Amino acid sequence: MDTLCIEHLSKNFGSHKVIDDLSFTVPEHAVFGFLGQNGAGKTTTMKMILGLMKPTSGSITVCGEPVCYGQTKSNQYIGYLPDVPEFYGYMKPFEYLKLCGEITGLSAMEIKKKSEELLTLVGLDKANKKIGGFSRGMKQRLGIAQALLNEPKLLVCDEPTSALDPIGRKEILDILCQVKGKTTVVFSTHILSDVERICDRIAILHNGKLALNGMLPFIKEQHKQNGLLIEFASQVDLQQFAASPEVASFITNATKTDTSLVIHTHKIEKTESVVIETLAKKQLLPLKMEVLEPTLESLFMEVVQ
Amino acid sequence: MRSYLAFTKKEFVENVRTYKVMIMAAVFLLLGMMNPITAKITPQLLKEFMPEGIEITITEPTALDSWAQFFKNVPQMGLIVLIIVFSGIMANEFSRGTLINMLTKGLSRSTVILSKFTMAVFMWTGSYVLCFGVSYAYTAYFWTGDGISNIAFSVFCLWLFGILLLAAVMLGSVLFKNSYGCLLFTGGFVVALFLINIVPKLQEYNPIKLASGNMALLTSEMSVSDFTLPIVICCATAAVFIIAAVALFNKKQV
Repeated sequence: MDTLCIEHLSKNFGSHKVIDDLSFTVPEHAVFGFLGQNGAGKTTTMKMILGLMKPTSGSITVCGEPVCYGQTKSNQYIGYLPDVPEFYGYMKPFEYLKLCGEITGLSAMEIKKKSEELLTLVGLDKANKKIGGFSRGMKQRLGIAQALLNEPKLLVCDEPTSALDPIGRKEILDILCQVKGKTTVVFSTHILSDVERICDRIAILHNGKLALNGMLPFIKEQHKQNGLLIEFASQVDLQQFAASPEVASFITNATKTDTSLVIHTHKIEKTESVVIETLAKKQLLPLKMEVLEPTLESLFMEVVQ
Repeated sequence: MRSYLAFTKKEFVENVRTYKVMIMAAVFLLLGMMNPITAKITPQLLKEFMPEGIEITITEPTALDSWAQFFKNVPQMGLIVLIIVFSGIMANEFSRGTLINMLTKGLSRSTVILSKFTMAVFMWTGSYVLCFGVSYAYTAYFWTGDGISNIAFSVFCLWLFGILLLAAVMLGSVLFKNSYGCLLFTGGFVVALFLINIVPKLQEYNPIKLASGNMALLTSEMSVSDFTLPIVICCATAAVFIIAAVALFNKKQV
């Protein structure tokens, strides 16, 4: 069953169309990376999923329940972590989670058990001070704890890692990885390495539409480009290499920079052996030789251009 | 229901920890003490500051003078402090985005409004009772209560007017999403009530009577039945304000 289903969603701000006929689904237990440039409409889409913003047209269904703007019935399945989570600064983490638990309707026993469990998970079990004195990373972690409190079927995180230092980022990603088995995660970001680390599915939002959508390995396979990169120590080396008749056929459709060369070919192994042979014969020692894999970065650049 | 209690409790904790309870209690306690004391010492003060050779006869102050101070100070200072203290009731949540977590946890928007209104009414009632209690105790200590009627009813009228203002504060807060807008709305509402009062025919319907006719009640110039219409209209307006605030909040983007 699909946990989240978006159909023909559109959103206009005045005459500016932010989301344009967007449709996609997120199956159960997926970790779904929602990518896009700043202002692409990621947060807008998420707010519409939560019923905090009214779509111009289209429908959203969460766990079979349609989302209604202003009402919060479908939110019982959702845990939400805003990009900059804000709490009541005069409360302590335990008090805050207690308030959240009472609002979602958990019993006092459950609240106590879950709060202790979650605060340990996010590493805040010893931080018994007012939230007003928390650092940004601590707030982000408390944000995850409150989002997971009601054991949501869908966890929506809006750029959970963008403002954190490398350690904080790693910790947040580890926590998301840990909850992967229990819940479906949708998270937006523009940090591509985060996506590669934990997502199994991605979608790239561009001009209000999905420019790319699917399983990450599958997308990579599809966009394979078969390039061979050779980097030389000097320009002279490169010229010598390019001048040899053995490689002349490859050089014609290669991209050159000052000291490096990318050969595009369909027969990567054959090319590689010819290149190595040539290099050996000419006594040229490259700095680097690499078979290019499509990176998420190159995919991203490709689709948003 | 449970989320209503939880959120109301949160409001209470917030009011305590952000010192709102303390401010309200201090101001209204001070007002409560000031009323009888001002009445008591005013004639003495006047006597002291009179230029020599001028003789005026000042009647001995009575309990009525003390209550005159009460019904002057509470509507003027007390209600203004009340409105200022609660003008940020929604604005802080809007500007900081703290409500988003609550709403995405399944808290309904009407509960937010009702909880906040409940707590504001509770705080107003508490402070007002404190002020009245202190005033009453001092007044009873200094003077006898001869010639004073309808004191309880008169005090109730002013309390009800405070509730109406709090309802206006709620609507203003949702309408403008910031505290200045809220103050403007509530202030505008009171000005409108004063303007309506210019038309003699409308005076008997105007809820402002609940905050201005109190002394007339005490001296029996007006009777309790004169206040029936303003009370009904006051309650109806407050209810309309709260319902409108809920309806509007349901449509507001957070």
